[in-house]
Amino acid sequence: MSEVINIFENVKKSGRKALLEHEAKEILKKLGLVLPPSCFVKSEEESVKAFHDFEGNVAMKLMSPHVLHKTEEGAVVIGIDTEEEVRGAYRDYMQRFANKEIEGVLVEKMVKKGIELIIGSQIDATFGPVILIGPGGVFVEVLRDVVFRMCPCTKEQALSAIEEIKTQNLLNGFRGMVKVDREKLAEQMVILSKLAWEYRDYIAEMDINPLIANDQDIFTVDARIILK
Amino acid sequence: MKNMSNKLKNFFDATSFCVIGASTNPLKPGGVVAENFAKKFPGKLYLVNPRGGEHELAGKKYPLYKSILDIEDTIDVAIIIVPAKYAPKALEECGKKSITKVIITTGGFSEIGVEGQKIQEEMLEIMNKYRINVIGPNCLGLYAPKLGYDTMFLPESKLKRPKSGKISIFTQSGAFGAAFIDQLYRLGSGNWVSKFISYGNASDINEAHCIDYLGSDEETKVILVYLEDFKNGRKFIEKTREISLKKPIMGIKANRTETGAKAGASHTAALSSNNAVVDDLLAEAGFIRVTTWGDLEDCVLAFGTQPLPAGDRVAIVTDGGGAGVMASDMVSDCNLKLAKLSEETQKKLDESFPVFYSTENPIDITGSATAEDYRIALEAVYNDPSVDSVVNLCLPCIPNLNIEEYIQITKEISKRKEKPFLTALVGGNEAIWGTEKLLEEDVPCFDSPGRAVRAVGLLTQYAKFLERHNANESPLNQQ
Repeated sequence: MSEVINIFENVKKSGRKALLEHEAKEILKKLGLVLPPSCFVKSEEESVKAFHDFEGNVAMKLMSPHVLHKTEEGAVVIGIDTEEEVRGAYRDYMQRFANKEIEGVLVEKMVKKGIELIIGSQIDATFGPVILIGPGGVFVEVLRDVVFRMCPCTKEQALSAIEEIKTQNLLNGFRGMVKVDREKLAEQMVILSKLAWEYRDYIAEMDINPLIANDQDIFTVDARIILK
Repeated sequence: MKNMSNKLKNFFDATSFCVIGASTNPLKPGGVVAENFAKKFPGKLYLVNPRGGEHELAGKKYPLYKSILDIEDTIDVAIIIVPAKYAPKALEECGKKSITKVIITTGGFSEIGVEGQKIQEEMLEIMNKYRINVIGPNCLGLYAPKLGYDTMFLPESKLKRPKSGKISIFTQSGAFGAAFIDQLYRLGSGNWVSKFISYGNASDINEAHCIDYLGSDEETKVILVYLEDFKNGRKFIEKTREISLKKPIMGIKANRTETGAKAGASHTAALSSNNAVVDDLLAEAGFIRVTTWGDLEDCVLAFGTQPLPAGDRVAIVTDGGGAGVMASDMVSDCNLKLAKLSEETQKKLDESFPVFYSTENPIDITGSATAEDYRIALEAVYNDPSVDSVVNLCLPCIPNLNIEEYIQITKEISKRKEKPFLTALVGGNEAIWGTEKLLEEDVPCFDSPGRAVRAVGLLTQYAKFLERHNANESPLNQQ
């Protein structure tokens, strides 16, 4: 997996600790996680083309090493349905973030609504790399309902972690919500735990949040990898 | 960490033992340990005291060597009980004498600050130079009654020694260890302890070595732990995961305050308090984590005397409605279920008892109960295959109950050991008297309904863990 190391080394060389979302997603895609179709663009025309290629309904996210909390800083626009909105969002980014370094814009097909989850890893002072799983999105801080495992974890350990999540209703198709595919979720947790373990000399923290489980699959919608 | 279990095994396997700092004062630590070994250790014993001369212990005269280097024989294990400042020299001499197993009980090292830390570092250099394995410093060392091995430096007049049994204990805190050992002496028959390891500052031997050794020690059937932090957390978890499939591991990991969560760049870092991580990793590895001192005694009684249940269905027999209700609440708190009695059992109870007895589980044989009523109810539920554990509650203050007869019935059923059978006697002097009578024969008896049910909860938690991992042969039932 020297490709992964190459990405890490390049990020480090440019003096950064945090991977940009499209860099993190490139790694996760290589490892077999499921990502919505996306296109990293560097011009307005390219973003319009991507919008049409995806047949509309996209999100546009600004990729800048200076904008890490994208939602809070207004660097994410979701549910874009028209070419005008694409152009508008692109121009708005270029104008508002003119004084910041801009790598480009990630145009991404919107993922259908579903259950939002988090899988994350960090280096514990006692146990080394550990991984957590639980309800994600806005629920992360409201519920703080997460379960930890030591990295790397087996599928059985991942499945038992999913079982230990307290808000089981959320996973079981409560009130017509989607029923989360536990096998698939466990497999994704195993992949991430291996990533955190194998690259423990590089990765300090990782958040896949949200991970959206809908009636099609379990999608990595946002990803953050922070290096040591 | 290769062959790490042998490190401790070689300590316990010693056939010759030397006390460095052997005092002629029987109350001083060096005097106590010398006497312990003189009285109980079957191997050879050597005493070192710079004043020289002779010392008589247990009817035998021992020369006091001025230095360990003056002893001609080889020595397997030495204990250093001298003030911290003299410890490096003593350790260096052990190294020169080719002793690779040393216990250092003295305090005054890293636990007291910079000065002590310096001495401990000096010791580490000597340990590395001579490849010495050290238990301690700042600990009680080892106790194994069957092997006559006892480095606990507190005199027997103060600290009583439990006799040989199937539970092994290791503890980071020596003070905890001493008090708990003392407590086990007075608990029931006092036949509880296989190996006791107090490893103190863990300059070498740590919690991972302890769990590994006890996991492979055949005489150890149950492992009880007191920890405050980890020296080798990963290894400990990996070993616990392996060993918990063979024997139950339980105990306290103290220091539960929510420290360690840091304001990181990710949600993950913000959610990762040390205790949250520890709690999940221990549970996943099959470690039964309890929190109070009382819980530990309950663990000893439950795992030290009972078989594992086949499932989570509990039957409760009581003579008091309130006790039954409280016990039933605890049943659900402990993720247990109230058993649905078989038709046969239900019929038997209905035919045997007056209509005002409540014959559905929890079975309330009321304040009119006699000892014979208890026998009928307890045997009926104990024989019922749809009952996995039985909780026997008694408030002995009721008028028609012959307490001696009730105790006898309880003992008889308890001896069958086909399923967990836990008793609580609640009340005043009669309850205390009855509890003592039962505990004399290691029949577990508690002072409240909740404690008895919680003991069932702990056993069931472990049984479920084994089932989840397809470890069907219950290690406790094999004994």
